[in-house]
Amino acid sequence: MRYTIQRLLQAVPVFFATTFLIYAMVFALPGDPIVALAGDKPLSPELLHTLRERYHLNDPLLVQYGRYMLNAVQGDLGQTFTGQPVSELLQGRWAVTAQLAVTAWIFELVVGIGLGVIAGLRRGGIADTAVLAGTTFVIAVPVFVVGYTAQILLGLNLALFPTAGVDEGWPVSYLLPGMVLGSFGLAYVARLTRTSLIENVRADYVRTARAKGLRRRRVIGRHALRNSLIPVVTFLGVDFGNLMAGAIVTEGIFNLPGIGQQVFQSIQLQEGPVVVGIVTMLVMIFIVVNLLVDLLYGVLDPRIRRA
Amino acid sequence: MLEAQIAETGADRMKPGSLWYDAWLELRGRVIFWLSAVILVVAVVMAAFPGLFTGLGPYERCNLRLFRKGPDGVAVFGYDTQGCEYWSQIVHGTRASVMIGIAVTVFALLISIVLGLLAGYYGGWLDAVISRLTDVFFGIPFVLGATVILIAFPRHGIWAMTLALVVLGWTTMTRLMRAQVIAVRDMDFVAAARMLGANDRRIMFKHILPNAIAPVFVVAMLNVGNVIAGEATLDYLGVGLQYPDVSWGLQLNVAQSYFAENPHLLVFPSLFLTATVLSFLLLGDVVRDALDPKLR
Amino acid sequence: MSRLVSLFTLSGNTPREEHVTVLTRIRGFAVLLATALAVSACGGSEPPAAGGGQPGAKEFSVALTEPDHLTPGNTSSSYSITVLQALFDLPVVIDAKGQPQMRAAESVTSEDQKVWTIKIKPGQKFHNGEPVTAESFADAWNAAAYGPNAWTNNYYFENIEGYDKLNPEAPEGSEEAPKPTVDKLSGLKVVDPNTLQVTLTGPFSQFPITLAYTGFAPMPKAAFADLAAYDIKPIGNGPFALDGTWVRNRQIKVKKFEGYAGPRPAKSGSINFKIYESRDTAYVDLRAGKVDLIQTIPPASAPEAKKLLGDRFVATPSGTMDYLGFPVFDKRFASADLRRAISMAIDRQAIVDAVFNGAFKPMSSLVAPLVPGYREGACGEACVYDVAKAKALFDKAGGFSGTMNLYFSNADPSYEQWMTAVANQLKDNLGIADIQFRKVPAADYLSTLREHKQDGPYRNNWVMDYPSPQNYLQPMWGEGNRMGWESKEFNDLIAQANSAAGMEASIPLYQQAEDVALREMPMAPLWNWQDQGGYSDKITGVQIDAYSPNLDLITVK
Repeated sequence: MRYTIQRLLQAVPVFFATTFLIYAMVFALPGDPIVALAGDKPLSPELLHTLRERYHLNDPLLVQYGRYMLNAVQGDLGQTFTGQPVSELLQGRWAVTAQLAVTAWIFELVVGIGLGVIAGLRRGGIADTAVLAGTTFVIAVPVFVVGYTAQILLGLNLALFPTAGVDEGWPVSYLLPGMVLGSFGLAYVARLTRTSLIENVRADYVRTARAKGLRRRRVIGRHALRNSLIPVVTFLGVDFGNLMAGAIVTEGIFNLPGIGQQVFQSIQLQEGPVVVGIVTMLVMIFIVVNLLVDLLYGVLDPRIRRA
Repeated sequence: MLEAQIAETGADRMKPGSLWYDAWLELRGRVIFWLSAVILVVAVVMAAFPGLFTGLGPYERCNLRLFRKGPDGVAVFGYDTQGCEYWSQIVHGTRASVMIGIAVTVFALLISIVLGLLAGYYGGWLDAVISRLTDVFFGIPFVLGATVILIAFPRHGIWAMTLALVVLGWTTMTRLMRAQVIAVRDMDFVAAARMLGANDRRIMFKHILPNAIAPVFVVAMLNVGNVIAGEATLDYLGVGLQYPDVSWGLQLNVAQSYFAENPHLLVFPSLFLTATVLSFLLLGDVVRDALDPKLR
Repeated sequence: MSRLVSLFTLSGNTPREEHVTVLTRIRGFAVLLATALAVSACGGSEPPAAGGGQPGAKEFSVALTEPDHLTPGNTSSSYSITVLQALFDLPVVIDAKGQPQMRAAESVTSEDQKVWTIKIKPGQKFHNGEPVTAESFADAWNAAAYGPNAWTNNYYFENIEGYDKLNPEAPEGSEEAPKPTVDKLSGLKVVDPNTLQVTLTGPFSQFPITLAYTGFAPMPKAAFADLAAYDIKPIGNGPFALDGTWVRNRQIKVKKFEGYAGPRPAKSGSINFKIYESRDTAYVDLRAGKVDLIQTIPPASAPEAKKLLGDRFVATPSGTMDYLGFPVFDKRFASADLRRAISMAIDRQAIVDAVFNGAFKPMSSLVAPLVPGYREGACGEACVYDVAKAKALFDKAGGFSGTMNLYFSNADPSYEQWMTAVANQLKDNLGIADIQFRKVPAADYLSTLREHKQDGPYRNNWVMDYPSPQNYLQPMWGEGNRMGWESKEFNDLIAQANSAAGMEASIPLYQQAEDVALREMPMAPLWNWQDQGGYSDKITGVQIDAYSPNLDLITVK
């Protein structure tokens, strides 16, 4: 319990440092968002001033950040330059991205660990070679190539999945994008599981357990696999945040109205509140997931609890 | 000395009977090792001396009227959208992809070894500081962070890209390294070495590092592919490299609009990319297998 | 004359293209207006009321990019306008031939071109049942002209009397403008429910055609109770009414307005505007039968789309043009011969073929072909690809030393592709060794150009506001242009043309001005855009023109 509270307290400075870092970087972007919004129109100084005041662009960076955070705590994430409240804008989008990320994550978890175990247990066999070759291929091909190819082949030509959009809801609309998004992490998970399992299967304690007469299945299942999953759990925890952010490309290809599309556009438009709003949420998710990973560590490896 | 026998490394590295020598003995008998080594040597030579493979410079003697023409007798790889001979463009593209992939990984690996060892071994406040620092950078998602950085500094070349990718790319390995160090540091042989009077540095680098590095090394090898794909993704999003730089990422970026009708645009850079990444992965695998005493 | 300029410059040469939607190139969509031909400004002949086509209860879908606003006074985005053209009947409309026709107005007349009388057709209703009166227009226009509202189309009302009272200037030394003391334009007078009198600050013969711009749409009283709510659920007077609210980034649904009494009742039951982030995805959905109409097929997919869709592939000529501008203020580009040499070293046809799949038209004129007064080949040999002549002229002009930076924005990847082709050609044909790209963030691009920070050739794009050579020549080559080019001869000719008796008489003068600009070549024409749309076999009656997608004409099978 004390460990949990300690970890929570550690998360606070991380939270502020990360959000401020992003806020400062967005602030450092060249160009004037208001002038850009007006395009080529001769914006009158009065209008410019009104708009800049409205979006608090005239204040120093720290003041802007402070005001933003103060309002954010009260649930007000500011407005986009088109006048929509950011919280409202993100509300609908988070659901989309979360569903996408969860789909991808489940895919990674189940298929990735499954493949890794199969490969690791029969090291050097056909399955192992196939998994190695397959994961290598997936890592080697950029995600947008995978995405477009999957969309054209599986979505359009074979019509196995919807091509784009979220009309059919979860899970149907999210299967193909989720698989594309998760393919990369899946390759990692499979390889990590395999490597780790191979190490552990040969470890002394497994040999000891076998020597003591325990059945192979029990030794692998209870001891080797559990220990092998430590690095895998680290990765999976870590990857959930990446999935949410990595959705930029996947959402673009499959026209999913999630945060990925929004954040890319907002960076280019320098919509600080939106970018920071998204990052704030991402950081929070990241912190919670990491906390869970740390706690899981304790379950998987009792030595950590003592540390 | 007993300590030296516990982890047989040190100055006598390549002597018969040492870990590294044994590894070499095992490696040189493996086909995959030679295959990937040859491919990587070719890729590195291609990156360093493109002139050996093509007489044309980047974007030299392009004839726009030959745009996206398939392979013919003159140009074995056909032409790109700009009507440039594709073979020579791909050769020149090797440099950016290979260099960024390797440089980012090497820098990130060095950072993560140092930070991971310090944090995992000493624990306490040092661990807290390093872990929180890792957390801060780790909390910035890769594509998102890179996009912000690269848009903020629009005039970036290969080295600026490398820097941006290192800034965002050192955290995963550091965390893994730290976790590994924590798992290893309580092992008996570390305690034995400490009792025998080894100092912290020696314990960290001679005893813990070799026993903790294997998964990190695997991730680093995979990371080369990760970085190259990430770089290509940034190119695809239009925030990565740009003319006059040439890269496989840029070529794939252009190709994705046309690959249905002009598959050669996609196929050739993908082949080079895949072969290079594959080689890194396989080489990583065999080297790890050979090095890891636990697997013998 | 300067009024005429300021009225039109703002409608957006590039804004719709360079701002909000950075991810997708917006279709070159003539937002505004029409020819300046029908200055007579009496009631145009009414288009025949749409005959007894069975109003199908069926729905079709249209691919759209997320609009910025749906309040007519507060958007110039072509996506918003696509929706607004279904929701609103404007006083005037431009037909497919570029001729202005009366729509919500019965007539727009003036004795002296300064005081205009707009007669509103009686019997029109808003979607909420409110009658459409002169006041509906006055209210909407006052709101747009009221400075503190900060609406996008504010500038369109600049030439109506009383505009400055609603937009007071900040006093010397202060950035803060005082709050206006009035909130109504003194130049707008509601004479009776069907008559609106507009007093301009000076004579302006083309006033009637400006009324075809969606910024001049009427708004009901109900709108002003909650403008934020109105922005996501606008109430119009057109053949379609909003069904539900605008679901951001998802869809905008509209349904046939049963109480519609105007000349163009909807032939379908409802339209679902599906919002897409990228035109590639929209096109994939069209192929998969998930969307019925898209107005922007990605150029790379055009050949395939032509094969696939056959008759259902629609190419619409557009007024949009791309140019390569030169920083004449930079002394390395001061020589007209050098600029002409660069123009001659660019193989426009090859670029159009390679990058745009042949869909765009290489240009040898500064104005688009659909503009009256367009002359094919006006540019002469300076726009003809000729390597030998280009090189000779280039050497004669003293060549070019140092790094040549090419400027364009990051709004669309195709810019980089054609700039790469230009760079290669300049390198090969003229021997300019060191060429670098300056890909400027879209948010920063136009201010870079405005502030003359570009030190090399740059991409310049123009979306036509109304089909007149004046709309191209004066804003781009006139005083205060981005090239830093100054020509009294040119400016005088434009002034003469603007004050000419009529359109007919002005054209030869505009053409002379164009000749001056081509001779000096501060900016070289590259190509004219073409919009490529397509539709599913589920719908018929698609008649997209340069001024409107005419969604009311579409029938669902």
